Amino acid sequence: MSADRPHSLWSRAAQRFVRDRAGMVSAVVVLGYFLVALTVWLGLGGQDWGVLGSDSFAPVSAEHWFGTTRNGQDIFARTVYSTRTAFEIGLVVAVSSVVLGAVFGALSGFFAGSWLDEGILWLKGVLDAIPFFLFVVAVAYSLQGHPLAMHVAMIATFWTTTGRYVRGEVIKLKSMEFVEAARAVGVPQGAIIFRHILPNTSHILLVQGTLVFVTAIKAEVILSFLGLGVQDGVSWGLMISQSTNEVTAGFFNNFIAASLAMFVLVMAFNFFSDALQDALDPRKVSA
Amino acid sequence: MKLRLFLALSASFLLAMAAACSRPGVDSEVKRYRHSDDGVPTNIDPLQAATVYSNQIVVSVYDTLYRYKYLARPYVLVPNLAAGMPEISDDGLTYTITLKPGVRFIDDEAFPDGKGREVTAHDVVYSLKRHFDPARVSQGRWLWDRKIEGLNQWMDAGADYDAAVPGLLAVDDHTVRVRLVKPFPQFMNTLAQGFAAIVPHEAVTAYGEGLGTRAVGSGPWKLERYTREQVRLVRNPDFRKEPLDLAYEGYDAALHGHLGIAHLDGKPSPFVDELWIDFIQESAARWASFTSGREIQMSGLPVEQTDIVLASKDPVALKPEYAQRYHLDTGPEAGLVFTVFNMADPDIGNVPDPQRNAMNRALRCAMRDAFDWQQRNDRFYSGLGEVFPGVIPPLLAEFDATLSRDSVTHNPERARARLAEAGWTAENLPTLDYGLVASVLGREMAEEFRGYMAAVGIPPEKINIKSYATFGDYNRALRTSELPIMGYGWGLDYPDAENVLQLFYGPNAAPGSNAANYRNPAYDALYEQSSVMLPSAARSEIYRQMNQMLIDDCVGILSLSRRRIALWHRDVLGLPDRQILGGFWLRFVDVK
Repeated sequence: MSADRPHSLWSRAAQRFVRDRAGMVSAVVVLGYFLVALTVWLGLGGQDWGVLGSDSFAPVSAEHWFGTTRNGQDIFARTVYSTRTAFEIGLVVAVSSVVLGAVFGALSGFFAGSWLDEGILWLKGVLDAIPFFLFVVAVAYSLQGHPLAMHVAMIATFWTTTGRYVRGEVIKLKSMEFVEAARAVGVPQGAIIFRHILPNTSHILLVQGTLVFVTAIKAEVILSFLGLGVQDGVSWGLMISQSTNEVTAGFFNNFIAASLAMFVLVMAFNFFSDALQDALDPRKVSA
Repeated sequence: MKLRLFLALSASFLLAMAAACSRPGVDSEVKRYRHSDDGVPTNIDPLQAATVYSNQIVVSVYDTLYRYKYLARPYVLVPNLAAGMPEISDDGLTYTITLKPGVRFIDDEAFPDGKGREVTAHDVVYSLKRHFDPARVSQGRWLWDRKIEGLNQWMDAGADYDAAVPGLLAVDDHTVRVRLVKPFPQFMNTLAQGFAAIVPHEAVTAYGEGLGTRAVGSGPWKLERYTREQVRLVRNPDFRKEPLDLAYEGYDAALHGHLGIAHLDGKPSPFVDELWIDFIQESAARWASFTSGREIQMSGLPVEQTDIVLASKDPVALKPEYAQRYHLDTGPEAGLVFTVFNMADPDIGNVPDPQRNAMNRALRCAMRDAFDWQQRNDRFYSGLGEVFPGVIPPLLAEFDATLSRDSVTHNPERARARLAEAGWTAENLPTLDYGLVASVLGREMAEEFRGYMAAVGIPPEKINIKSYATFGDYNRALRTSELPIMGYGWGLDYPDAENVLQLFYGPNAAPGSNAANYRNPAYDALYEQSSVMLPSAARSEIYRQMNQMLIDDCVGILSLSRRRIALWHRDVLGLPDRQILGGFWLRFVDVK
């Protein structure tokens, strides 16, 4: 009897994900990075990233695994601390933009064709029309170099894609029987949207979350390289930016360390995201 | 049909190619000089010519009454728009300056019929009055503040341009008479600065704030294009035809023979058709641009390249492969770099409460002791700079080599002791903003500063790094006193220690040049006493006392003079020099 019991969407997705070897390897890598970030958050590692040393541009050694900067700072410690910066930005931007996209998308989809839908679509269109980096500069300027200027700009831009997906899904869901039933028993509209419909878009939100996460990390590196991102602290973008002066003099440690760390995380997250998308694809899950 | 279309397209292409090849006035016929600078002239209105970047453009497109000789060192003032050196009254208070006749502003829509008119003494008076117009923000007002008879009163009375200022008169169209309140030995030097550039009132009326990005002057160049990335200047065809007299400009065959400029003697400048000045803040990008040949001159050698390019540091010499390609000019900087504290900030400056005042002084002195100048020199200036106590740099005659080096000696133990004695702990220390221009080097310097402070017990989170996109933005922050800790450089406006000592004169407080907002009645009294004195042993002694006050009050972390290393390609004929608010040399540059 139990063998015939139907599995839930989530358990079937989990089974599918576990069978995806690339997905599992990438998940382990991402988890590894997360643990590194966690050790920094807990103050157990990377805390000496700003401590000055006596040797400028020291080569790789037992004391300094990735060498040192002009200020004698340990590049390994800076790479490790930057993992926290990446996760901090990735998480804040991913969670915020997905929540924003979910709320706006759900409202837009549920009230499709109304003035509210038109307004949200107009807002999305406007935000999508502004070149991203121009928008970041404008936000950074208006926030007077506030440390969260980059986060605000990313959140304001990245929610639109999630919103578009959620809107489409909600339009599909709102005509389904469980919604009709909720309406029939007098459940208020707000509860129908946020308690009955939105939870059914969670597979979209999860995949979007991972995509936004990795996009935010990449955007941070580019923005910090351009001087528009992290203003105080250290990040892979700042390390690469710092290396621009150094590589012409033949010192590549900063560049290699930051690029490699970012490359591995971004690649792993991309594989992880793809595997998650495959696992949660309703067509494949239900097959 | 297809064949016909193909033939038509081919014919159009060939015609276009032929037209392009035969276009008159193509680039190959234009003599163009091009270089890059490490900062952006954010505003080229003479009122705002406070940086070397702005000043360079301003003195190229506008006229000043005086300028410095091209090659003579030490710097020597000579007439520019003025017909000769001024007549100075016996009491040293009245200057009568005659203008060259027939000098015209460039043609511009600001003038009736678009035709530039003659530059007159009234324009000189108007241009100086502008600095005292309360409706305008001037970064140069401090130069003449309370120094010209009636000018401050004119400002206080509402700045009516039709009202005469007794100490600033156009006697006739070609004669200006300036009467000073008290002797001002550097007055002539101020008339060679971009701040003193001559602006026609028609342009101010027509463009107002727009003069920050356009120029209507009578200088050797006309502004063709202004962006934050590049300025393009073209030769002013109506510029007065004055032949270059190399002997008069200080030419010495032994010193200047290698520059290849001898053939320019007797010819009227400018010698090139266009000047293109690019603004590239990052040193790596600037160096790459220079070595690739895109720029044909540059002003400095990036610190990362020092060991690659130089065969020796003392004396500075290029490796043979670089010597073949580039000219080299080196020497001590006519200026200094330092960090000052905002003395008007209650967290770190002077406050009425004596106990807190003592605590703040201890904090400032501890930060000074914590700072390692030698390491700063080694890491950011290739060890070529010269660290010295106080603010009077080694280049100046008033430099005191016997001054104690205690204030520039790295002493972390004493820093910790000062903090402990004053009752400072990691918890009760104030959080202080440290400003920087957003560049790789600026960020590294800020991290270094924070590292030094952390080493003596000032937690990194107590030093908040605040970055500004451009030097112009940062300069604005200095003028508005929004930062408690400010690192910056000062290039001398004129070769006199008064020019650095005025940076701490109370009445010059922000938005004036005294960004530290240092107010010390004893210092101000000595400054006022010395400011009317001609160079002498007595004046040097007063300067020494003032310098010592700055050290004793721990007004800043003072100071270092960099070594100037200018490289330029061998097909450039000239002597690049942007020191002493330079820029005049651009009119004499030539290219092969």
